[in-house]
Amino acid sequence: MSIQALDTTTAGSRKRLFGLAFRSSLLTVVTLGIYRFWMKTRLRRFYWSAIRPGGVPLEYTGTGVEKLMGFLVAVVVMAFYIGVFNLILMFVSFSLLNDNFAAYAMSFVGVIPIYFYARYRARRYILARTRWRGIRFGIEPAAWAYAWRAMLHWLATLATLGLLLPRQIFWLEKFRVDRTWFGTARFQQNGNWKMLLPIAWPYYLGILSSLILIGLGFANPLWLFGLVPSVAIAGFGLIHLSVQSFRVLGAAKRLDGNIAFRAAPSTWRVLRIYLFGNLFAGFILAIGAAITVFLFFVFAALLSPDLTGTGPVAQVAQSLTDFTQAGLIALGILGYFSFFIFWGVLGQIFVTLPLLHHYAETLMIENSHLLTRIQQRDRDAFSEAEGFAEALDIGAAI
Amino acid sequence: MTGLAFGDFMDGGSARVQRVALRLDPPEHPMDLELALPDGTATLRWPLSDIRHLVDQAEPGAVVLTRSQHPMQRLITDDAELIATLSDLAPDYSAPLPAPGMVKRLLGLGTAAVASVALIIFVLIPVMADQLAAMLPASGERALGDSTLEQIREALSDNDLFPIRTCQQPDGLAALAKMQARLEPATDFPYPIRLHVFDHEMVNAFALPGGHIILFRGLLEDAKSPEEIAGVLAHEMGHVEHRDPSRLALRSAGSIGVLGLLLGDFAGGTIVLFLAEQLISANHSRAAEAGADDYAHDVLSQSGLPTTPLADFFQRLYDEYGEETGLISHLASHPNLAGRADAARDADQTGGAYETVLSDAEWQAMRRMCR
Repeated sequence: MSIQALDTTTAGSRKRLFGLAFRSSLLTVVTLGIYRFWMKTRLRRFYWSAIRPGGVPLEYTGTGVEKLMGFLVAVVVMAFYIGVFNLILMFVSFSLLNDNFAAYAMSFVGVIPIYFYARYRARRYILARTRWRGIRFGIEPAAWAYAWRAMLHWLATLATLGLLLPRQIFWLEKFRVDRTWFGTARFQQNGNWKMLLPIAWPYYLGILSSLILIGLGFANPLWLFGLVPSVAIAGFGLIHLSVQSFRVLGAAKRLDGNIAFRAAPSTWRVLRIYLFGNLFAGFILAIGAAITVFLFFVFAALLSPDLTGTGPVAQVAQSLTDFTQAGLIALGILGYFSFFIFWGVLGQIFVTLPLLHHYAETLMIENSHLLTRIQQRDRDAFSEAEGFAEALDIGAAI
Repeated sequence: MTGLAFGDFMDGGSARVQRVALRLDPPEHPMDLELALPDGTATLRWPLSDIRHLVDQAEPGAVVLTRSQHPMQRLITDDAELIATLSDLAPDYSAPLPAPGMVKRLLGLGTAAVASVALIIFVLIPVMADQLAAMLPASGERALGDSTLEQIREALSDNDLFPIRTCQQPDGLAALAKMQARLEPATDFPYPIRLHVFDHEMVNAFALPGGHIILFRGLLEDAKSPEEIAGVLAHEMGHVEHRDPSRLALRSAGSIGVLGLLLGDFAGGTIVLFLAEQLISANHSRAAEAGADDYAHDVLSQSGLPTTPLADFFQRLYDEYGEETGLISHLASHPNLAGRADAARDADQTGGAYETVLSDAEWQAMRRMCR
């Protein structure tokens, strides 16, 4: 049926990303975190341009300034909400129940709708700042509608001990996709939630076997040891479901009626990237930390008057004591921050980039000749950017 | 540059990608990049002074070009020679795309945001806390005090596992109870006062919601007479009576959430410390301190006790620390110590003749109760 299909190529080396991620992480620390808005912007530019459907890279047009502004606005709103809301909760909780547990619980519950709201707003901002072939993406504003739907779906999923998760995944994806546009063309999520069932069997196997084992555990606690493999299966099932739903849902998406998509990410490949990427990053970090600690002690020993005895060396060392103290403290702080910087940077180059490449390179666009009909859409000013997501510290990766 | 290069052109109006032939330096327009469209009918000219390139791109071998005058247009080329020449000749090749008015807007918005957060923390939350504290029922006050007492004991301890020790030596406790019994008839609380002595060297005392009053070992050791302790105790009772600690606790509860928002997740420990610091240093307003002092003077006088020892104690703090100190001590961190000493001296109604609050043996037992 497909007349013309576009393959997706990928670009971007680890080395190039390392330079960018390392420099911007450093700037983030030096500016006490302010630069993180620009860091995010630059990393996104890189990641977006690494995905090239039909050889034309995606483009990210967001700016650091608008992210900072959005964050400021969100902080004011959240400061009001959290400050005043917490205060009233605390008062009510102590007045009526003589305890603050209810206040903490309510304060947590109160943030949940904002969490989903913020997620949708962040998506809106990101899509509005994404272009391909010079054409903007976009999503209709529907953050509160999304938030309450998401909460109801979560409730249903939790109430059924996770059995309705595929249904939740499908309907929330459909809600988002059906409101997403590429230029003048609309996306559409076809199909139904039951098409996720064939890829959900390891997940169901894990959940059902865990439930049975817990039931048997009431009779004989030894059965509970069986939870170790059954929970592992459920965990694998969850990853399998999330990776393969990208393929299944992708195949049922349409753009402008007839433009179709194909994706074929591999669960094992994703697992391998997560596992070995993190292991490798941890390994490099451990070696770096060992060398740093070694240098720290060499430095400390060389300048410590206790170890050098009497004589001119000791005198020099004595005069350096204050300097040494300050130096060691500075080195300690430096080490602490370096650890987090390097962990973040290594995570970008060994996990995020390979994952992105893997998902992207399996992506195909069918009937791509129909793309030429699509026209530009207006700019979504949306000055708040993803401030709420930033303020709540979600959507951390990129 | 002489030969022809090629590129992919997107006009920013439709999703069409057009293969274009690129020519730099055409004879008739030397400062232009010429784009010949595939149908051969049209030619676009990009002035070199107008050309910018997108930064932070993943693909090193290709560039995405755009124009500052037509920022929606895109031209992708991987012709190394053309790229090198453009980066040399185009004057604003690496300049960011113009975004007018952003800096000014940012400054305005930043100022407004900081002002609003300050307004929330320093005006809105305190005002609300004051109103709510007055409405809190006695049982709620007690619960609030109980939960904060434990947090403070943990925060004051050097050790993460054990909260700070409260001194339990029986003779000392008996002396403390005797002092409390002497003062209590002059008071009228909806809950019993609960006294604690913390094993800590700070010269300090503070009150928590619901009638907890905490004295520090350092205070007992610093005091010259039991009447000085009685004076401090009466002062803290004044704070309890006026619900100052409840106000402070509610205020912190509001500010903590905001601070957590600003400082991020990793600062969770800092926030608890901040709460404890707030309550221990008990930065009540000047009026609240004066109110507690007045209350103390009344209670002491009705109990037949002098207020001069409290004056002596304030005077000593003043001599030692001066008016403004960085010390985290409720008693010493308040201005106008000298004035408060004078007021306490003037309030004395005993004329120097009174029944001592503790016997000498009891006083010594109290001072040694942490050993």
